[in-house]
Formats: sequence, structure tokens, C-alpha cells
Amino acid sequence: MFESVRNNPRITQGFLALITLPFAFWGLESYVRGAGSTANFATVGKSTVSTQEFQDALREQQARVRAELGERADAALLNSLPVRRAALEGLISRRLLNLQADAGHLRVSDAELAAYIAAVPALQENGKFSPERYALMVANQRMSKEEFESRVRQDMGLQQLLLPIGDAAMHSKTGADLWAAAELEQREVEEAVFLPATFVSNVKLADDAVQKFYETNAKKFEVPELVRVEYLMLSRDGLLGQVSVSEDEIKARYASQEGKYREAETRRASHILINVAKDASDAEVKAAQAKAEAILAKVSKKPSDFSIIAKEQSQDTGTAERGGDLDWFGRNMMVKPFEDAAFSLKENEISGLVRSDFGFHIIMLTGLRAAHIKPLDEVKAQISAELKAEAAAKKFAEVSEGFGNMVFEEEPDSLKPAAEKWKLTIQQSPLLPKAVDGVPQQPLPPPFDSPRLVAAIFSADAVEKKRNTEAIEITSGPLKGALVSARVIEHKPATVQPLEQVKEAIARRLTLEEAAKLAVRDGEAKLDKLNKGETQAISWSAPRTIVRAVPGGMPPDAVRAIFKVGGFKLPGYAGASLPQGGYALYRVSSIKPAATDDTRRATLTQQYARVVAEQEFSAWMEAMRLRYPVVISKNALDAKE
Amino acid sequence: MMAVYDLEEQEQLAELKTWWNQYGNLVTSIILAVALAVAAWQGWNWWQRDQAAQASVVYGGLQQAALQHDAKRVRELAGDLIDKFPRTAYAVMGALVSARVQQEVGETKTAQVQLQWVADNASDDAMRALANLRLAGVLLDEKNYDAALTRLASVPAAPFLARHSEIKGDVFAAQGKFAEARIAYEEAIAAIEEKQKRADADGNERGRHLAYQEVLRAKLDGLASSGVKP
Repeated sequence: MFESVRNNPRITQGFLALITLPFAFWGLESYVRGAGSTANFATVGKSTVSTQEFQDALREQQARVRAELGERADAALLNSLPVRRAALEGLISRRLLNLQADAGHLRVSDAELAAYIAAVPALQENGKFSPERYALMVANQRMSKEEFESRVRQDMGLQQLLLPIGDAAMHSKTGADLWAAAELEQREVEEAVFLPATFVSNVKLADDAVQKFYETNAKKFEVPELVRVEYLMLSRDGLLGQVSVSEDEIKARYASQEGKYREAETRRASHILINVAKDASDAEVKAAQAKAEAILAKVSKKPSDFSIIAKEQSQDTGTAERGGDLDWFGRNMMVKPFEDAAFSLKENEISGLVRSDFGFHIIMLTGLRAAHIKPLDEVKAQISAELKAEAAAKKFAEVSEGFGNMVFEEEPDSLKPAAEKWKLTIQQSPLLPKAVDGVPQQPLPPPFDSPRLVAAIFSADAVEKKRNTEAIEITSGPLKGALVSARVIEHKPATVQPLEQVKEAIARRLTLEEAAKLAVRDGEAKLDKLNKGETQAISWSAPRTIVRAVPGGMPPDAVRAIFKVGGFKLPGYAGASLPQGGYALYRVSSIKPAATDDTRRATLTQQYARVVAEQEFSAWMEAMRLRYPVVISKNALDAKE
Repeated sequence: MMAVYDLEEQEQLAELKTWWNQYGNLVTSIILAVALAVAAWQGWNWWQRDQAAQASVVYGGLQQAALQHDAKRVRELAGDLIDKFPRTAYAVMGALVSARVQQEVGETKTAQVQLQWVADNASDDAMRALANLRLAGVLLDEKNYDAALTRLASVPAAPFLARHSEIKGDVFAAQGKFAEARIAYEEAIAAIEEKQKRADADGNERGRHLAYQEVLRAKLDGLASSGVKP
């Protein structure tokens, strides 16, 4: 059969064409699709988000969080659900935009791409695009040029896509005015506050209320287990006193590290500046030059007057006051033309006109410190400290294993032998509370801020058998790197504060809570009656004017309630619970429309424009989400790495 | 090369030949049709990409002009896109950008024409919805209330409902029809609360719409302050 096919090229070719067709038009993918689908994290429309992509996005998100929170961003937070979710959301949004950009065949031209990259300031040298810098930057990103360019192109495509959505959002002026009018309307309001304190005498707690609270909140009254320990600490700093360094060692180190103490040449100069903008016209440049030349002639004639002339004429206002003095500087601290001139002058010599991006400078060299090497006496203390630290570290490395063995295995029932052997002092801790559910109840002094150490001193071996803990390394804080072994000398088991002791505090608390409820109930009842038109004996405060946009410290709930009062029947009444407990009644006696010339209108209009733009953008994004359905695999976000 | 066939092979060959005589034309024409369809599809894609690539260059210029607030140039380029590449996404995007720029410089008539073109011609329904909302806003500012309401007559897709209802409320409020305005604003608030719920269910965009909710509430309350009972 196959031979016949072999000898009948027409059929063969047709057949082959059929196989290659899908290859040619849909790519290899059409054969392998579905193969590794379990590794997919989510699907957006018909495209998939791989676990790898998610991990990349998560890493970027974590870097952002770390940049924002610094030290506070611990591992638990960085791997928390909100962070993972934000990473995924970002990834999905981007994918939605990419899909939409592809659907519209959005693609920026090569010319635009090149122009965009060439205009990035960081890639320019002397105002021109530098291919070397570009190559270096791309290499730093660990990408090939093609990859980098395709990313930039994609981003530019997204910019194209988003311009008509968010940036070009439109709001009607009428809509903005309606909102501004509502926000700036002035309401004259009187207030009557019902504080919990005034209702305390009306509160009658049930006989068993305190008892019940005590029982249902037993956890609140627990006193955790306490221990006091004695401990030994072996640290590099502690060993500093046990090491010494000789003169010879210091000299040898100085000799071997001469380069470290070399100081480069520094110079001090004063200058007079006549400003010329970088893009100034020829006429402007000429005028400035003429002016600068005149000054140069003056200072050349009488160099001793340099500082006086600088004070009067220099247009570098910062230094003019100091007679043009720029203080000491080294190489690479000044603009290039300035540096070249300053480093070619002799002391007290005055330069010719020097043109930089700032304008024309006249420079006088006022000081010169040649390159030199710091003498040994000046750096002796520093070298000695370095050598001591090295010696202490070396000693620490030598003895730490022996220390660990002795406290934990050789002499587990006393710290004394170890203390004597390495000349350490046994220290005593205050009473330390046990952490509850792994959370310390109060910050403990170092080294007990180490969770491992705290766990060890509350272990059965330490508490019941009174054994030394193993030598535990402190991994953070000021004592980082030290080894600590501790031994319990006093132990108090966990207890619950007796009812007698906490009875009063509970009663006070319950009474206040009850009183706050009464205050609210009373306020609400009065509001109800006022709204029905009944008169009430209420002492109102003096009226004040409230504007919605600037509530002046009034709680948001109260503001909302006050502005719900209609203008058709004044005075109108409103009420709101207060955040600190209690209730407030408000009487709205008059409503004045916003002044037409209120300057805040402009600000509010801008604010409105922004809110509308955000709203339009988020509506459009949601439409994209509906267009390209997003399915996130079920356990995607729980998965830990 | 000459091959020598045994009897069995010769039989097979004969069979194949008969089969080919019978179905050969059919097979050929099917393959031909498939190839043609594929070529046409490829061609169509190519044409679209080519159009988009040309339009992209024009749009790039429009982007620049919009950044420089050069309303005249933006209008010209948007016009070019609509005339030469009306079926591309760029034409729609250009018209939307231009409408905003024209509104900024008070050329509301031009803005209106461009928005209307998008609202009536764009193949992308989300873009149509956006253009429709923006157009209704422009008509409202021109006090062309009936035309604005006509634009808002049909209910849009859920994501756009809140803005849709808000603008409707604005139109009624401008007409002094406070009762209708109240209903519209309340619909807008309900829509945004729904949206918030959907977002929360996705664990997404939490709190994003709070500012907008406050805007809607203020507008709603503002209706009652005039002294006319709605």
C-alpha cells in the first residue's frame, strides 16, 4: 500500500498539503493545545494565564508592596491573599487590554517605536540617543532587544487603546454644575447632643450582667504563663574585650591597604554666573557674553575684588551671597565644562569665560588639596577597631560550637561552667509572659524579641526539667548573630483574674454601653416626635452653617442625614448616632443655594471630571471582562508557591 | 525509475485508479475550495492588518496633536481616519479622542458629529455605549433635552447603567422634572451598588466606586433642597 503512495506523487502531495495546512495557518499550537492545561492558572477569553506568569506578576507585586511598606512587609503579608489577588487582578486586566488591542489590530509602527525609545532621557547622552546605553539597559533587564522592543510596542498599543477610554472621558457641564450646587449648598443647622454620660444614672444593670460578661469573655481576663530566666549570651561584640591587637598588626594592615586611605584631589572655587538658557537665541547669547566679558575685564584688573563683584553681579543667587564660593568639590561633581576649567587653574588664578548649560561662568580657584594618603595616626583608631572586630568574629566562630555543646549537652543543668569557661556574665530577665497563639502580648526586651528563644523558654524541658535551652541564634534586632542559652529560674502558671478584681471595671463598661443605647433611643424618639410636628423641650446650640463639601469635622453620617432634609418644609429635623457613642439631633432652619461665584466650583468640577473618568474607565473594563470571560482555577489563589 | 509490481500491488493500483476516476474531481475541487477559503481568510486578515497599520500612523499623529491641545489638527486627523479607514478600530478611537478635544475648545457641534458617528457606526458595542453616554452629555449641555433623552432611551449593558441613569437624572433635573430625576438617580445608585457587589464577589476593585456613590447621593439630596416637593 505504501509503495503505491510512494509512486503516486499527486496523491501524496495532496495528502501532505492537508497535514501541513493547520500547521501553516494555526501553528504548532493547534496540536499541542490542551497538553499542559493543568499548569494553567486562569483563562481570559480564549487565552490562558500560566502559573509562571502569575509567579512573575506576584514577584512584581511583592516588590511594589516592599517598596511601599519597607520593613513592615514580612513574608506572611507578602504572600497574603490580598497581595496575591492584586497580582492576579493586575495580570488579568493587562491580559484583557492585550486581547482587546489584538482584536482591533492595534500596533504602533516601527518608526514610532524607534522615536519613542530614542526620546527616553535615560537612554540619551549629550542630548542624543546612545545605542550603547540602550544596549546596556536592555541587558540589565535580562532581555534581548527584540523582547524589549516587543514589550514596549505592546505598552504603546495599550496606550493607544486607553487614550479614548480614560483620558478622553467627557462629562457634561450641566452634570458637574448639579453636583457642585449640591456640594456647596449652605444649610443653617442647630445641634443638640445626647451623650451617654447623662444617661448613666438611668441604667439599671441586671443582677447577673457582670457575672455573665465575665464568663462569656473569660479570655479577656486571662493572665498568661510567666517565667523568669537567667541567660548567657555569646556575641562578637561581647568578645571584643577579650581580644587585643598589636602595633605591628596595625602597621601591617595600614601598609597593605594604602589604597583605602588615598584621598583624591579636591578643589575649591568661586564663580560668577551670567545665565543663558540652554535654548537661548543667538542674540540672547551675545548679550550675555558681552555682559560676562565686561565683568571678566573688571575682575581680571582687580582679582581681590572677586567676591564683592560676585555678590553684586553673579546670577547664581545661591552662591552670590557668599561671594560666589562653591566650597570643596572633587571630580564628577560639577558640569563638564566647569570641571575642566576648574581643574586646570592654578590657585588664585581666574579663568576666561566658560560656557555650560547654565550660562557663562567666570571661575576663580580659591583652594587646592592635592591627592594624598591619610597618615597612619589619623586612621589608627579605625584600623584597630577593624582588626579587633575581625579577631572577635574569628574567636566567635571558634568557640560557638563548643558553647552550644556545653550548655545543651555537657552541662545542661547549669550555665555556670560555660560562663566560667568563656568569661561571660550570667544575666537575669524580668518576668516574661508567654505568647498567646503565637502572638506576643507585649513587646519584650532583646534578646527575648526572638520568637524561637521565647518558644524555647516555655518548652517542657525548660519549664519542668529546668534544663538549659539550646544555644539559639538571634536572627534580627540589635543582637543579631548572638547565641543565647537560657534557663528558667521562676515559673508562674497561667491564671484568670478573679471576678472580684475586675467586677467594677466590667460594671463601668456595661453601664456606659447601656447608657449609649439609651441616648440613641431617646434621640430617635425625639426626632420622631419633631418630625410629627410635636414640640419638644430641646436646648439647641447656636446655629452654624454647614456645607456638604467642607463638613468641618462633622461625622459623615450626620452630614448625610442633614442634607437628606428636604427644603419644602423648614425647619426640618435630622439625627445621627455619633461615632464616639450617643446621638445628635439637628434642626435645619434655612437652606441657601451655593453662591454662583464660589471659587470652589472649579475644584469640584475637576473632581467631578476625575470621578466620571474613573467610572467610565471601570465600566469599560467591566465590559471587557464580560467580553472575555475570566475563569480563575479554583485553588489558584490558595496555592502556596 | 521503473518499479516492478506484483499481482497484489497491481490490483491495489487499479482500485485506486478507479476510485480516483470516480472521486478525483470532487477531491480536487474540495481541496481547491478549502485552499481558496483559507487564502481569502488570510487575505482578509492581511487587509485588516494593513489598514490598521496605516491607520496607526495617523492615530499616532492624532495622539501627539491631542497632547498639544491642537484641536484643529486633531479634527483633521480624526476626519482622515473616518474617511480612509472607517472599518478600523483606530477610526472609532480617533473620533472619541477628537470629540473630547473639540469639547474642550467649545467646538461642541464637531464633538457631537464625531460622537454620533461612533455611536451609530462602531462595531464595538462598548465603544458605542461610551460614545452614546458622551453624546447625551453634550446634547444636555446644549439644552437639547429631547435629543439627549432619545439617546438614553434604550437600556445599555450593565457596566454602563449607572452613568446612563445619572445623565438621565441630570437631564430631568435640568428640565425641572424633579420626580423623574429622583427615580433616575435612585436607579443609578442601585446600579452602582450592584456593580460594587459584583466587584466584591470577584474580590476586585474594592471601594473603587465609593466616590461615585457619594456624587450620586449628593445629587439626589440636592433635588429636594429647592423647596419644591418632588
